[in-house]
Amino acid sequence: MRGMGPLVALVAKDVKQLLRDPRSLTMVLFMPLAVMAMFVAGYGEERSEVPIVVVNLDRGSISWQLVESLRSSGTFKIVAYAATVEEGTELVRKGVAYAAVVIPEGFSDSVLTGQSTRIVTVLDAAYATVSELVWQSAVIATQAFMKKASELYGTFYIDVERQTVYGPKVSSVDSFTSTIMGVLLHLVPMSLIAVSISRERERKTFEQLIMAPVSSWHIVFGKFIAYALVTVADMVVTMAFAVYALGVQVRGPLPALLAVSLLMLLCSLGMGLLISAASRNQLQAYQAAIFVFIPSMLFSGFFMPVELLSPTARLVSRVLPLYYFLKAFRNIQLRGWTLADVSQECAALALETAIFLAAAVRVLRLKVE
Amino acid sequence: MALAIEAVNLVKEFGGFRAVDGVNLRVEEGVIFGLLGPNGAGKSTTIRMILGLLKPTSGYVRVFGIDVERNRREVLRITGYMPQHFSLYEDLTVEENMRLYASLFGLKGGEAEERIRELMDEFVLWEFRNRLAGKLSGGMKQRLALAVALLHRPKLLVVDEPTAGVDPPLRRYFWEKFRELKRRGVTILVTTHYMDEAENCDRIALMSRGRVAAEGTPLQIKRLAFGGDLVELVVEGDPRPALDGYGARLVEFEGDGSYSRIRLLVPDASEALVPLTKMLEQRGVKVVRAYPLPVSLEDAFIRLTTGR
Ligand SMILES: Nc1ncnc2c1ncn2[C@@H]1O[C@H](COP(=O)(O)OP(=O)(O)OP(=O)(O)O)[C@@H](O)[C@H]1O
Ligand SMILES: [Mg+2]
Repeated sequence: MRGMGPLVALVAKDVKQLLRDPRSLTMVLFMPLAVMAMFVAGYGEERSEVPIVVVNLDRGSISWQLVESLRSSGTFKIVAYAATVEEGTELVRKGVAYAAVVIPEGFSDSVLTGQSTRIVTVLDAAYATVSELVWQSAVIATQAFMKKASELYGTFYIDVERQTVYGPKVSSVDSFTSTIMGVLLHLVPMSLIAVSISRERERKTFEQLIMAPVSSWHIVFGKFIAYALVTVADMVVTMAFAVYALGVQVRGPLPALLAVSLLMLLCSLGMGLLISAASRNQLQAYQAAIFVFIPSMLFSGFFMPVELLSPTARLVSRVLPLYYFLKAFRNIQLRGWTLADVSQECAALALETAIFLAAAVRVLRLKVE
Repeated sequence: MALAIEAVNLVKEFGGFRAVDGVNLRVEEGVIFGLLGPNGAGKSTTIRMILGLLKPTSGYVRVFGIDVERNRREVLRITGYMPQHFSLYEDLTVEENMRLYASLFGLKGGEAEERIRELMDEFVLWEFRNRLAGKLSGGMKQRLALAVALLHRPKLLVVDEPTAGVDPPLRRYFWEKFRELKRRGVTILVTTHYMDEAENCDRIALMSRGRVAAEGTPLQIKRLAFGGDLVELVVEGDPRPALDGYGARLVEFEGDGSYSRIRLLVPDASEALVPLTKMLEQRGVKVVRAYPLPVSLEDAFIRLTTGR
């Protein structure tokens, strides 16, 4: 077994080095636990119900039984009753509900006379996963209703028809663009800038730098602006590639999409700077950046719309920049909204950026310890 | 004389370990002050506290009367620092590093240009101005570091082991620079492990295990280490009986019967030599030669820091 001596020595050395960085070690051990806990808190509890609108044009008692059956399915939360199909569709278009269920005039009569009839679900194609869920649940609820009602009223048949707004169909490339942009605009700039100050500390250049009469304000904003200038170019190129080379469709104005992306980029940089100001070495900073990214991924609507997560998770999402970004980006890209329509999300992003930067300036200490 | 640096009861603890343990320093304006001591004595830590790079666990520092913890930026404007380890941007060129620091210190366009050019000429950096700092040789890095420390014409220059790893001609050049700066009124705080350099200091503080073990001029330090000056005499015969009862301690004796060479410890060599010779002659000992014996600071240093 030639060469085992050095191998053992190297293994021993690396184990020691790992054990001697307690902060990183805690992070490594704690991270999987924390992530699992977050996951269970967000996804394990009974999930929230999908907001829908009911347009009951029939108003007969049997139609209300169908509505009741939808409600008790556990999937839906009826957030509004609309008087007309147009009104219902508009609520879906505005994002108040993910779907409108339309019960036609004469529905009760059809059931009583044993004729076949149909209800219509107007789905929000911009959220493919949700609309699929709504559709399937609507079919199941309707079948349950049919089974129960046929015992009372004799056989009849209800067909469930599917219509979309922002449709007819959103390709998966289109619906994943926001997710990909979210990862790129969050993780990349954040981890890049997170190590920037600790790198100066490790290379000792920080010791010389803080001998010049600069304030932490100068250092934080110096880094912020420099990294913004460099990463903005990256962002524009990525977006252009998506739109022009991959043919990703954008229903809303492209400048609005760029503006939202820019805000997200700046916010990520601010967040990364706060991590940078607070951490002592590059490894710590890097781990912290990844650690911060995980809740963002779980709770910002990355995998599933936040509305479908548990109430706790929804609360958490409200502090995550990525939540506002994904919402604004999807609404512009898939629903064709304008910048004015997503001004709230933009304001939230800008506010968070300001908070992160101010905190970074405060946290950064001009000392070498 | 105004005080350039006044450090009072400085203590720095890292974890439970006291790296600096109650250091008091008073550096007068316009002097070259040497901070000596073995590795780990706490020199760099003391310097970092003086510059406000580390917050003292207790104690305080004033630089030209300005409290460092409270008004650090004011102190920085009049202070230049060359750290023990090269701390400029290795991925920037010589010129870019100089320009950066010129701007940070508020030097404006033409003024900055002129100052950079001046320092580049002075420290022979001009021909390397487009080289990345990381690609410079050790000596060039030190020259660049010193040039950057002097950009804003500081009143106080703090240099931590400026000549470590530097060849003899450049070491000499550095010390010529320090003396020139001193003539222009700049106060210099310097650490070094070279005792020949330390002889050039006006005053020295000798640190050991976080404390100041001795402080004074190089001469005073040597006297302190040996308990006085050494003088050497060559005499005829054996002078030892004649020395009995005289206030000088015999530290070395070497005789071959006809001549002897002796070393004596006296409080002050220049004052002691004449009376000593006279006394011996009076007692019938013929003195062939008598001279003060130069002791090296190195001997003193080792004596004081190791207690031998
Ligand atoms: N950041 C720190 N954390 C913990 N211990 C430290 C730190 N900085 C210095 N020390 C310790 O403090 C002591 C003094 O270190 P310092 O660097 O001041 O010594 P020095 O006199 O400059 O030595 P040298 O001549 O080798 O440069 C050493 O024992 C060192 O290990
Ligand atoms: Mg040192």
